[in-house]
Amino acid sequence: MRAAFRESLLRVADDELTIGHRHSEWTGVGPDIESDVAMSSIAQEELGHARLFYEQIAGDEPSGADRLAFGRPPAEFRNAVLLEQPNQGWEFSIVRLVLYEAFEGLRLSLLARCGREPIASLAATLGREERYHGLFADAWLERLAGHADGRARVQAALDAAWPYALGFFETTDADRALLAGGLLPEPADNQREAWEAAVRPIFERCGLTVPAGPPKQGGRRGEHTPDLAQMHLEMTEVWRSDPEARW
Amino acid sequence: MIPLARGGAAPAARGGAAPTASWIRTLEAPEGVWAVFLQARRRDAHVYVGDVHAPDAEMALLLAKENYARRDPCVSLWVVPAREIRATAGDAAEMFEPATDKSYRFGGSYRQQQRVYRGGYHTAPTEDDR
Repeated sequence: MRAAFRESLLRVADDELTIGHRHSEWTGVGPDIESDVAMSSIAQEELGHARLFYEQIAGDEPSGADRLAFGRPPAEFRNAVLLEQPNQGWEFSIVRLVLYEAFEGLRLSLLARCGREPIASLAATLGREERYHGLFADAWLERLAGHADGRARVQAALDAAWPYALGFFETTDADRALLAGGLLPEPADNQREAWEAAVRPIFERCGLTVPAGPPKQGGRRGEHTPDLAQMHLEMTEVWRSDPEARW
Repeated sequence: MIPLARGGAAPAARGGAAPTASWIRTLEAPEGVWAVFLQARRRDAHVYVGDVHAPDAEMALLLAKENYARRDPCVSLWVVPAREIRATAGDAAEMFEPATDKSYRFGGSYRQQQRVYRGGYHTAPTEDDR
């Protein structure tokens, strides 16, 4: 049970770290200065959330959070594959943010009901910040999809992202253990239903079509794309230069 | 900071009437520039803190939140199209200059009272009190 719970916290932390790192790549090159600042700020907050969860996992181990974030090989990462993909274009990052924030909001609300402190309280608190991220993403999506040209590009991004987004709900033995142990109040299928009910109207309101097709999974089992390996090299470069340094 | 336009072209598209009096100005701002006002605490006034570029009010508020309220305390934001703002012209400043001694109007004790009312955030006297 302990291992299963750790696994579920790693998913949260790794999701936040990878999407936070991808968002941070917009710093300095966002479509306008204000959105650049906003996206960078969202990136910082996701990384902040990642750190809090890594700290919970690491417990008393010194520099344990850094070690978890930067000292593990890509195959030990448990993030959903969608989040490691390069930004490609602003529309892709926005679509991904819409998909992820809806998921993250639901996941935090489930975690807030897990009955384990301080995780439950932490999850309840962090939900507040995710709300703004979702509003920002939805507002940008609506405006990008407001014209035919933009809508076509957003649709292409949605077509590409959707199957990977279904990978949020990939299950492993850990999920079965958590369900049986009462730490996870809802099975993955219910979570996915609730998430779809939240995101479908956002896209449909913008005249977009949610694609069909099987989920693309693997991330929760450590099976990642080469994009993670490449991102990982860059993300861990400074830490690897001196793993014992105190920052 | 947004420059002032003398006799300013009013934002006709928004239906605002052009100021006619010579001492009134509109802010010389392109469409899509929003002035941001931040309220730090519930009983404070909203204070102008800068601008954002945005196509509409919702986006302006979202961007203002992250650009102006991510560090310092904030409980509420206002945004308004910058060129909707009417201002006194720079050379009208002398109308604010008292010609006779009006120190009886200063009402320093009222300011002290305001501070008490705000919940004692500033208890030490400041330059303003003297």
